[in-house]
Parts: sequence; structure tokens; C-alpha cells
Amino acid sequence: MSWDIVHLDLKQAPAVLDAGDSPVYVVYWWGDLPLGACAYAPEELPLRRDRLLARAARFLAEQVAARDPGFGGPPLARYDGKALLQPPLAAVRDVGVTSAVLSQLERPVYPDADALSVIVCTRDRPEQLRICLNALSVLKAPPGEVLVVDNSSERTAASVCLDFPRVRYVREPRPGLSRARNCGVAASTRPLVAFTDDDVEVHARWSGEIVRAFEESDVESVTGLVIPATLDSEAQRVFQMDMGGFGASCLPTRFGQVFFEETRHRGTQVWHIGAGANMAFRRALFERIGGFDERLGAGAAGCSEDSEIWYRILATGGGCLYEPRAVVFHHHREDWSGLKRQMRAYMRGHVAALVAQHDRYRHGGNRHRILVQLPRYFMRAGLDVVRNGKPYRGRVLAEEIRGWLGGVLFLLNPRWRSRRAVPTIAPPAEQGS
Amino acid sequence: MSYRIMDLELSRPFAGFALASHETGYALVVRWEGRIIGFLMKEAPEGLRMDEEVLREIVERDFALRILTVKLEASLMERWPATTLIESPSLTIAICTKDRSARLARLLDALEAIRGASEFRALEVLVVDNASVDSGTREVVESRADVRYRFEPKTGLDFARNAALETATGDLIAYLDDDVVVDRGWLAGLYRVWADCPDAGGYSGLVLPYRLETPAQIRFEREGGFGRGFERIHHRGALLGNPLHPVGAGVVGAGANMCFRRDLLLKLGGFDEALDTGAPLPGGGDLDIFYRVLRSGHAIVYEPRYAVFHEHRETMAQLRRQYWSWGLGFMAFLEKARRTDPGMRLRQDAMVRWWFRDKLISFAGALSALDLRRAGDLAAELRGAIQGLLGEYDRSLARSRRIREQVV
Repeated sequence: MSWDIVHLDLKQAPAVLDAGDSPVYVVYWWGDLPLGACAYAPEELPLRRDRLLARAARFLAEQVAARDPGFGGPPLARYDGKALLQPPLAAVRDVGVTSAVLSQLERPVYPDADALSVIVCTRDRPEQLRICLNALSVLKAPPGEVLVVDNSSERTAASVCLDFPRVRYVREPRPGLSRARNCGVAASTRPLVAFTDDDVEVHARWSGEIVRAFEESDVESVTGLVIPATLDSEAQRVFQMDMGGFGASCLPTRFGQVFFEETRHRGTQVWHIGAGANMAFRRALFERIGGFDERLGAGAAGCSEDSEIWYRILATGGGCLYEPRAVVFHHHREDWSGLKRQMRAYMRGHVAALVAQHDRYRHGGNRHRILVQLPRYFMRAGLDVVRNGKPYRGRVLAEEIRGWLGGVLFLLNPRWRSRRAVPTIAPPAEQGS
Repeated sequence: MSYRIMDLELSRPFAGFALASHETGYALVVRWEGRIIGFLMKEAPEGLRMDEEVLREIVERDFALRILTVKLEASLMERWPATTLIESPSLTIAICTKDRSARLARLLDALEAIRGASEFRALEVLVVDNASVDSGTREVVESRADVRYRFEPKTGLDFARNAALETATGDLIAYLDDDVVVDRGWLAGLYRVWADCPDAGGYSGLVLPYRLETPAQIRFEREGGFGRGFERIHHRGALLGNPLHPVGAGVVGAGANMCFRRDLLLKLGGFDEALDTGAPLPGGGDLDIFYRVLRSGHAIVYEPRYAVFHEHRETMAQLRRQYWSWGLGFMAFLEKARRTDPGMRLRQDAMVRWWFRDKLISFAGALSALDLRRAGDLAAELRGAIQGLLGEYDRSLARSRRIREQVV
């Protein structure tokens, strides 16, 4: 049974959401501002005024607390990446909730994204790439350039790119997502670099929101919200609902030195900062700390080439901002074997990144995570499987444990650990194109 | 061991407090403009002086966002005016009581204080005297104007609840146990939730502790009490992500404070008189009615403003007996549901398995933590559950039949 995804704008007068035959995943918005998502069984519907009103009030209170200038700007992240919302009682008591407060949550379209290079790395998925490029070509703020890095051996992306004259085609024949990303960065010419994946459709405001976020703060990296594009198969739903999807907080969150110093000794949970499908950096960052670690990422250890960069940013004194106004829609994997492979690769890549982080900075928290926290997580998840009878979760857990074992092999492999895998990135050769 | 329970109104400036020498903790009923938005209990050194600064920090952490939500709700309410106007319903408040005239008098006083401001079309208070031995109950009722009295000779809470259903005239019937006191927002909260969801089959409300003066009362509340949270919840016949719903009907609320559409209860045949018969099966009746209302396709809406304060069991022995009776009542209810609602058989069986697995794991956890008291409570609950599975519902059916015959 497939689930419907319904987008509901609470700024409009509340319509009744009636029950259909299948469950619905409702994504709530306030105009172009995403508020959050909930899933409902058909029997739980309809949603009428009072329920929508209560929902809206709860979501908007969080948004006001996180965004209203009177409450001090984007909240800091807790150890687990959640935004720490603690509006002062006095301010809450005095604030008059007027329509001005609510309309402040909306922002006009940010018109100019010329400073932004968008990089799409792709490998043998021409149909999905076409959908991705279609969305990128109707952005309200057209980016300065769009680069497609073809990581396939057969140049499968080339013919798709011919249909998009503004897209620059670049080829990276050596397999591995990190290498493809580095190739894209090296070829980019703008001061800001945003990544998205070939199985993603960006929101029309995506590019503008990223540029605005960099304008308004001095962070090195901006990440955004990933919303599932479809929830047709069980594998997609397990990924979204049970495995945390890509994390779906709708609150802006600052990840800086407070977050890093508080959590370093237990392994800073940098993966909560965002997802590779929706992340952006200042190009100068790569010129300073090098590119993505080519031992990590899809096609190598598995993943976490993104979070490892965030670790380097924090470890060298920089900051990151999660800004969910920058929205993309992601097509999760549909098949079980794909999901299982993915979860195994995630865990192996995760452990590999922890090893790399440990070796680079000698931060013992990373090893603690590999050898203490992850086994503890497996035990707790195993207990949940037994206690609540979740066989599918058990299957995923088995893959995760296999992935962990694969990752531990990296820890035991001095040759892997000493390999030089972070290329230097030169400043752009020429301006514009 | 005794905690002081205090009201804390956040919309006005508040002061700190000092605990007396015999008080070992405090509990705060936190309000915003009179509305209950939270409850907080903490152990504290005897004679603690809580100054305003520290108190503000504590409530800030837990309630600032909640206040903002309440404010936004009011603002959105103006933005989205309600469109339909339905005639306000009449309400019967039914109190089933047995030999507890002092507590009954206390509850009637609390109702008297709020019934004047009712928005309901009509309001009646009905006391069902469930075979009291002394005449105190009748005397308390007769000493007051505007309270109806009915004697029910068949002993058993669900006999009394059905007698109330039969006697009541209201469109809605709100049941209260005799060991509660209603909050000042109780009636308005019930009206509010009806007005927002007039097509629901029932409503359930918040139950907070009336007193925390004995170790058993504090312990019970600390283990979660009757708490169902401070936000409205719509319960229906299914819940995504919970394959056992609505078999675990206890999440809906507590029998001490629940309300239904009277016509719906009549259509469903009222309460099951074989449950909640007092000893030896003192439970399960509320679970059964919640379950049947949800299964009939109607919603039950939990509303925290519709709040009561409940006199928890005073001694550890009573508390342990309560745990036992929950195990017993829950399994008796499940056994009954298995017979009358075979369409849910898979979920019911899964619930039994889940329940035992969950309690056994908790039991093992309590043992390994050397928390013998908790382990004892869980053992009592498990003992009750096993007894419940081993034919308690049949025994209780026979018992209720005998009670009926004796009286007739």
C-alpha cells in the first residue's frame, strides 16, 4: 500500500483533510516556510479546524521562538542536533502575538543566486538526473552555474545534459562520490558551492535561501531540509519513519564551538548537521582545508564524506547553520535490498569517518563512539526489536551491525589509515563562464 | 514524606516559596491565565527556600514554549473563526459513590462553585448511591439543592454507571469518581472540547494528584500517575505506527474523569456490568467502554483543561493492590474483547504478548537495579494479569449474575 503525501499550507484558511484509503504523510507549511510533518492512518482522519489549529499553534510557536529577532536568533544545537529552544519567560509573557509576528516568519523571494555554483554528482541514473535538472532550471533565483559531474564509466549523463544548455558537464572517471564532489568543486567558479543529488528535486526557492543564509551569517556551511518526494514502498517508509530519514527538523539550528566543545569527548554527532543531498559551502573553505576525503563516501567506504567535512569545519573553529527554509525533495530507495545495502554502507562509512576524524585530530571521542556507543546502540535497538516485535527493524539492524564490522576493519588497517586522501583545491582559474 | 502541591500562575508576577520542615518536596500545578499548562513535581531538602529567580528558571525551561503556543492558538482562533453554530447540549454530571460521604460532599462543593458559569444548555448533577451501608450519602445529597439522588442496590461500579445512564437526561453524561475534586476549569474545559469536536463519541480529561502526603501517593504519581499530558489528543480506532491500537485503551484516559454522548452509550448497551464490580474484579470497565466507543467509529478526545484532582491510594498495600487490579482488569477486558470483537483478534493476542514481554523486561530491570518495591508492584501486576487470563471474566460474569439475582 502506498502512502499519499499531502502538502498543507496553514496560512490559508484551514481546509478539512478528509480520509482516503491509504495513510497520508502531511507536510505542514506556512507559505514557503516548512513547519513539520505528521503521518496519519485513514482512521485518524478527518483533520478539522480544531486539530489543524492546535497543530499550527505548536509549530508556529517553535518557529517564532527560533526566528523572531526578539528571542535572539537561530537556536544552538544540543548534543543530538536538536535545536535548543528556551525563550525567556519575560519575553514570552510580554510578546503580543499579532499578525506582524506571523508575517515576519515569511520572507520575500531572495532574487539573486549568481554567487552560487550548484553541483550535481551522478552515476548511471539519467532519468532521475533529468527530473533533477528540470527542477534546477525553474529556480526563482537562477544560480550562477550548474555543474553535472558524471561519475559513470559510460558517460550516461552526457546526453541528458545536452537538453539543458545552461548546465556544464564535467566528467570524473575515477569512481567515488567524494572524488566526484572534489572534481565539481575544482571546476566551480563561484564563491558559494551547493550540492544536491541526482535523485532530488529542489524547491523553487532553494538557491535563494542558501545564498540568503550565507549573507546573514558567517558560517562555512549551510544545510537544508530534505522532504521525501514519495512514500510508495515499505522500504521508503521504514527509512523515513524508523531510520530517521534525513532528519526532518524544521527549526534553524546553529552548530558552532559550543556544540563542538560540549560533545567532543563523546564523539560530536556531526551527522545531525545535514545531508549530502542538500548542503552548501563557501568555496574558500575547500581552498583552506582541502576537499572531501576520498576514502569516504559512496563508492568508497560508504558515506559520511559530508559529515566529515563538517567535523573539520568545527575542529578548525568554524560554524555551520541548518536552515530548513532551503528545501529539497528526495526520492528514497524503493526496494528492500537497496535499503539494506544502504544502511550497511551508511554504518560502514560512518565508522570509517570516525576513524578518519580520530586520526586527523586525535579526538578520542570518535573511538569511544565506535567501540562503546555504537555497540550500546545496537543492544538498545535489539531490545526494541524483541520488546516491540519489529522484525523489519531487526533486519535493518543486522545490516547495520555488518556495516559496523566492516568499518572496524578500517580501524585495524594502518595502510588505509595512513593513505593521503584529501586533495588540495586551488582557487578558481577564471571568473565567470 | 510529604510534598506540597501549589498553584503557580505564570501570567502574573509570582513569588518564591519556602517548604515547611515536614515537607520533602513540592509539586506545581502550572497555569497560564487560569488554564493548566503543566505539572511538575520534585523532591527537595526539608525547609527548602525557593527564591523567585530559581523558580523562574525552572518554569522557563519547561513552559515558556507552551505559553507561546497558547498565545498563538488564541491568535489563530481569531484568524480562523469557527463557522458552524450548533445548539449547546445539556449535560448530566454523574457521580457514582459508595460509603464515602465526606469525599462526596467535597466534590459537590467543588461542582457547586463552578456550575453557575456553565455554557451548557442545561446541567444536572446526579449522585448514584451504590448500595451504601450508611445513610451518609443520602443525607449529603438531601442537604443540597439541585442534586438528584438515585439508589442502586446492586454493588458494582458499572451497575452504578448504568443506573446513571438510565436516569440521566443530558445529551452528554460526564462520569466522576467520588475520590476526585474538579478543577475550576473542568466545566469550561469540557464545553470547549465539545464545541471544538461536537461529533466525538466521548471526552476524557486530565487527572492530577489531589494530595501527595504519603510515600504511596508520591510513588504512584512519580511512576506516571494518571498523566496523559497537557495537550489535546484525538483518539480514534487506529493509530499509525502503533499496531496494537486501540486494544491498549488505557491511553485514552481514566474512568475517574470521562464523558460520553448519552445516546451513543445507550446504543452500545452501556457499561459491562461484569467489569469494575469492586472486589474481586475492581477494574477494566473504563478500558472496555473506551475500546467499544473507539471501535464503533467514534473519536474520544482528551482535553487537559477538563481536569480533576484525584485522591491517590494512601498506603503501599493499597497501591500494590491497585497494580494487581490493573493487571487483572486489563486481562479480563482483553478476554472479553477477544470474544465480542473477533475482528481484532490478531491485535488482542499481540497485545497480550507485548504486555507480558514488556512487564517481564521491566521486572527483570527492577530486580537487577535492586528496586524491590518496583519489582513487587510489577509482580503484583503480573499476578493479576495471569489471574485475569485464567477465566476471571467468566467468574465475574457469574458473580454479576448472582448480584443481579440477589437484588431482584
